[in-house]
Amino acid sequence: MTVLLFTVILLAGAYCAGLLGSLTGLGGGVVVIPLLTLCFNVDFHYAIGAALVASIATSSGSASAYVKEGITNIRLGMFLEIATTIGAVCGAFIALWMPTNTIAVIFGLVLMFTAIMQQRRTADHTGVVGSELARKLKLYGTYPTKEGVQSYQLTHVCGGFSIMVSAGILSGLLGIGSGVLKVLAMDGAMKVPFKVSTTTSNFMIGVTAVASAVVYIQRGYIEPGIAFPIMIGVLCGALTGTHLLKRLNVKVLRQIFAVAILLVALNMIYDGFMGKF
Amino acid sequence: MMAETKKQKYDMQQMIGTALRVGVTTACLIAFVSGIYYLICHGAEPVPDYTVFKKEPQSYTTLGGILTGVFHFQAKNWIQLGVLVLMLTPIVRILLSLIDFAKERDWLYVIITAIVFLVILSNSIGGA
Repeated sequence: MTVLLFTVILLAGAYCAGLLGSLTGLGGGVVVIPLLTLCFNVDFHYAIGAALVASIATSSGSASAYVKEGITNIRLGMFLEIATTIGAVCGAFIALWMPTNTIAVIFGLVLMFTAIMQQRRTADHTGVVGSELARKLKLYGTYPTKEGVQSYQLTHVCGGFSIMVSAGILSGLLGIGSGVLKVLAMDGAMKVPFKVSTTTSNFMIGVTAVASAVVYIQRGYIEPGIAFPIMIGVLCGALTGTHLLKRLNVKVLRQIFAVAILLVALNMIYDGFMGKF
Repeated sequence: MMAETKKQKYDMQQMIGTALRVGVTTACLIAFVSGIYYLICHGAEPVPDYTVFKKEPQSYTTLGGILTGVFHFQAKNWIQLGVLVLMLTPIVRILLSLIDFAKERDWLYVIITAIVFLVILSNSIGGA
């Protein structure tokens, strides 16, 4: 296969990955790893590097709109980024001694968890009484809704912070944004409104991914020949996905994709146990 | 006073939003143009063996190496420059927040933002 053909096929694959990631809400990085390792037989290390690049691109691209609309809680994001960046640093170091096959199995498990969690749609919390610590940290915020600007309080700062450390570790280990875990920390533990949780999570992914990307680029995980079709393809796919989401109801599509993702996850776990990576 | 802070908050959101968009667009444009250049130079060659991981040469993994290649018009280095710009985007976002929190005299958040920045900085210096 020539470089040209490989690049074109990879570009098309990355476009689909970006589209899938955006429609399912999984994020750009998560779909890139199975795409590269299972379909293209690329080494896991390069896949992690490419996934990081994809995560930064999609997160920064979509965060830009949400920040302007004022949905993102910038203070909350900033504060929790302490947890995710420190976690990401740890993750990148754990990756040094952890066998690739173990990383693949962990990735499969995370993917499964993600696909299942995506199916859950929580009702927004009402009448949350914020904690003293959250007030001192000025984490309370407002966000625009159809009924006008809504203010909210939040609680369980320490619980949310520790989940964020784990989200950071996974992010550093696997090169993914681990958005689902971030949403779980904010929406589940801290009782932040769902929409604020997802957009703030998105906002944080870029910084978290960069914290480990600066290590991985020096370790040589980021191969230019793979990075550029992935970066462009995933970003274009994600943009198409965002447009589609505004126009059509993707509920059924989402469920079909969730099943597909589960199968991919099982495949990763199986291959990991068989020592194929 | 209240209106003042609200406006400031709005300005900050617009600025951060724009910075993110400009960063990603620039990075993608660089990667796209140098990607085409890379394909023109190397498109007909067989695909390198990506199935086995071998550490990339220094020219793609260090700032100095990447920039040297950029000055010598090496296509792969130009792509890597695009990756660097992409990586700088969230970092610039952090710095913008830092400046803005300082303007608001919100010292708690100046410290918080500085910690995040220092974690990334120390990682890029001592991380390999």
